[in-house]
Amino acid sequence: MSTLQTNGTLLEVEDLRVAFAAGGREVRAVDGVSYKVDAGSTLAIIGESGSGKTVGCRAIMGLLPAGTAISGSARLRGTELIGLSDAALRKHRGSDMAMVFQDPARSLNPTMRVGAQITEAIRTHRKVSKSEAHAQAVELLRLVRIPAADRRFYEYPHQLSGGMRQRVVIAMALACRPKLLIADEATTALDVTTQAQIMELLLELQQELDMALIFISHDLGLAASYADEVVVMYAGKIVEQAPAKRLFGAGGTVKMRYTRALLDAIPHLERPAHTELPVVSGRPPDPTMLPPGCSFAPRCPSAADDCRTTAPGLIEHAQSHRWACWHPCENGGAA
Amino acid sequence: MALAQQIQLQDGTGARDSVRRVAGSPALRLAGRRLLAAIPVLIGVTFLTFAVMSTLPNETAQAILGLQATPGQVAALNHTLGLDQPFLERYWHWLITVLHGSLGTSIGGVSVNHELALHLPATLELLIYALVVSLALSIAVAVLAARKPNGIADRLSLAVSMLGLSIAPYAFAFLLIIVFAVKLNWFPVISGSVGTTPASFFKALTLPAAAIGFPLFAIYTRLLRADLVEQMQREDYIVTAKAKGVTPWNVLVKHALRNSMFTLITVVGLNLGGLVGATAIIETIFSVPGIGNDLLTGIGNHDVPLVEGIVLIFALVTVLGNLLADLAYAVLDPRIRYGNSNS
Amino acid sequence: MAIPIPDATLSTAAPPPLPSLVSARQLRAQRIGRALRLWVPAGILIAMLALCFLWPLVYQLPSPTNGNIIEAQEPPFSPGHWLGTDAVGVDIFSQLVYGGRVAFEVSAATTVIGMVIGCALGVTAGYVGGWTDAVISRVLDILIAFPALVLALVIAEGLGPSEMHVIWALAVFSIPAFGRVSRGATLVVRGLPYMVAARLAGTRGWKIIARHVLPNIMPGIVTFSLLGIGIVIILEGALDFLGYGIPAPGASWGSMIANGQQVLTAQPEYVVIPSIVLLITVVALNMLGDALRERWGVQ
Repeated sequence: MSTLQTNGTLLEVEDLRVAFAAGGREVRAVDGVSYKVDAGSTLAIIGESGSGKTVGCRAIMGLLPAGTAISGSARLRGTELIGLSDAALRKHRGSDMAMVFQDPARSLNPTMRVGAQITEAIRTHRKVSKSEAHAQAVELLRLVRIPAADRRFYEYPHQLSGGMRQRVVIAMALACRPKLLIADEATTALDVTTQAQIMELLLELQQELDMALIFISHDLGLAASYADEVVVMYAGKIVEQAPAKRLFGAGGTVKMRYTRALLDAIPHLERPAHTELPVVSGRPPDPTMLPPGCSFAPRCPSAADDCRTTAPGLIEHAQSHRWACWHPCENGGAA
Repeated sequence: MALAQQIQLQDGTGARDSVRRVAGSPALRLAGRRLLAAIPVLIGVTFLTFAVMSTLPNETAQAILGLQATPGQVAALNHTLGLDQPFLERYWHWLITVLHGSLGTSIGGVSVNHELALHLPATLELLIYALVVSLALSIAVAVLAARKPNGIADRLSLAVSMLGLSIAPYAFAFLLIIVFAVKLNWFPVISGSVGTTPASFFKALTLPAAAIGFPLFAIYTRLLRADLVEQMQREDYIVTAKAKGVTPWNVLVKHALRNSMFTLITVVGLNLGGLVGATAIIETIFSVPGIGNDLLTGIGNHDVPLVEGIVLIFALVTVLGNLLADLAYAVLDPRIRYGNSNS
Repeated sequence: MAIPIPDATLSTAAPPPLPSLVSARQLRAQRIGRALRLWVPAGILIAMLALCFLWPLVYQLPSPTNGNIIEAQEPPFSPGHWLGTDAVGVDIFSQLVYGGRVAFEVSAATTVIGMVIGCALGVTAGYVGGWTDAVISRVLDILIAFPALVLALVIAEGLGPSEMHVIWALAVFSIPAFGRVSRGATLVVRGLPYMVAARLAGTRGWKIIARHVLPNIMPGIVTFSLLGIGIVIILEGALDFLGYGIPAPGASWGSMIANGQQVLTAQPEYVVIPSIVLLITVVALNMLGDALRERWGVQ
């Protein structure tokens, strides 16, 4: 994990809300989310599908389809991004803040050489000559540790392996040395070994370029290994938020039941053979029909009556550790 | 790319897959195979035409000898010309002659080759004119429409293309004549010869090309627009491009359009064959001296060699069109061209 | 005529909008729009069919073939002649009505023949595969490469113009079109998991085809056939226009246009009126096809 730089807050998200209408009903994909990302630090946003983790970040980048209702605030180094026109936002997209997506096979234009896709990222924001952009692109390919970079420049995406494609996508994202990189399930589509390689790469690059990294995932294990700060989302809301050190490892205290369940669901080598894996029962809730009270209550093993009637607020119960639970876990160390 | 899959499915031989692995210009091998496969089609078409035309009473000898000829003389000439042989023999004969480069002699006594050489240019000019303009316009309109789906430009393009698809070319031809030739007097009603100057070219061929091109424009526009919109809304690489900060216009043109071109080329190729009928009628209406015109007169005269020759050409065009459609993918799609070298 | 590619690409609708684009009010508007796009063309077609086939039974129309030269060139709304008469005194409205009969009869017959024979060939080719497929596909390729118009003209020339000959001639074009589409659709359906399961379970070929393949490809076939009817109507009109279709003095839209050609400069309406009617008919057919495709979710 990188050491926290004290250069101040890079991204400040406050009460972000994203809603859209589906079939005549309002769906609150993101329902009041707030967090801070310091320059050079790593934030992990963890959640199941439908939790709003992706939608929130896309809202910040301005990548949601028109007609979505976005409110709240997201300030990148003081500049308010929410409500900005697309033309203005485009100046930040790809230059100050960049995003890497899940499936590298589909994220790259299949009919365009990878080098050209990188130079496009460069020349969209900087006035450089074609040859200069070419040189920079090759440099970027080297930066993401792709061998024979000058040859690879001319290849098409399908000629590269999955891991290499993802590196290319990362190279594209880094083209203008962004201060913030958002990795949206960037390793989910890769095999485990490649996954680790890409995560390591991201961390190294973060150090080299002094970049803040938000990585979105459903894998709590990744958060434990790589993040400085962790945000757990459920049904559009943050349910637990704390520095990683506080949540994991020895003496770690995971408070919210959902986080606890996620943690328990990670298989461990030390468990005796043939024990049943604890799973989080049920399915993610239908965003158009959220229950009153805590959204997790239908699936929570320790749900009580007050859980079902009133939603717990996200309150900072302990030092820089917030959770939203009426009956949090007592000792939250990893089992 | 639903159409792409459909096309691939309609091709039944799976040749693409087996061919891809081999190094050294898989595209050429594919082309070779397709051409080979096209030969039976050409033979089949010409055979069928011959068979059908043979049911028509053959008046060649009569025409040559004139009205005063006795049945005896007609029969004698028929025998000399080999016109009383069973049609299989005649077809075989014709086939051999074709392979030697000659398309035979038409009823008027003129060599079919000569006749076609005289009139083919006009038809080619007409078709190329129609194709080029309709393609260019359709790309422009489709891109404008896809920029804002369900916006004004889009709805307009859909309405216009619906008209283009539904209107009969001959009806449209007359409407064009009424508006542009009669009322506005911009173009002549009868086109006549194409002439040698650009001005005469456009004057003669614009209305006929519009009549042929409008339905084509409609098909291309609809298809391209649907493909573009689908890409813009569904494909991940579009989101990546947006995330890079690329302007919406460039995303549409530099990314989505590139990928849609295959589908467009495929459709162009597949539709070439269907142009025969329209071309023939339009040429007749506007008196364009092309082979479509010849075709109709030939049928009226029971002129077997002439009709066969023209049908052969049109069938060739159809086959080449299909070939083009197939090859578009093989040659242009980098996924197929370069194969998988690493994964 | 340029023949549009079957299915996929001609749908008017943009892919269904992502949820965020739709508010409750917009949703209602969309629903109304969809209903209109289905029922308006359907209504037009039903009205036309009723007019062509039922109305003459109820109301005595002037003859569509014989005209009184005295009554030539009467304008619309003349007594006894709703749309006036043409250059030789034949009632225009009657010609439209009876010409419509011909158009619908020929196109319906051709399409049905094409559907039955073409789908039989195409489904067999698609389902069985192998040599059967190769042979059938070649035959279909040959038929498709054959200029539809030429064949029709030659048949008409040789056998003499008649409605039946036109139907058979156009069927030669219709059969391979359906063959190709049904073959393609069958290939798509064939690979679906539950189809494979059915085959593995030992279900006999016929049952699979009848119970699984046909119901699945039917929506696509039906929407294609609507498109096909439009094309055939246009082709049939072309034949009539050239004089090879319905024998004169029979009324048909194509022959109306041909006759009107003589007086194009002076009285353009003789060409314009049947052209517009032709246009409306085919537009209605195409719109209906599109709307059904939208409703049935055909690819």
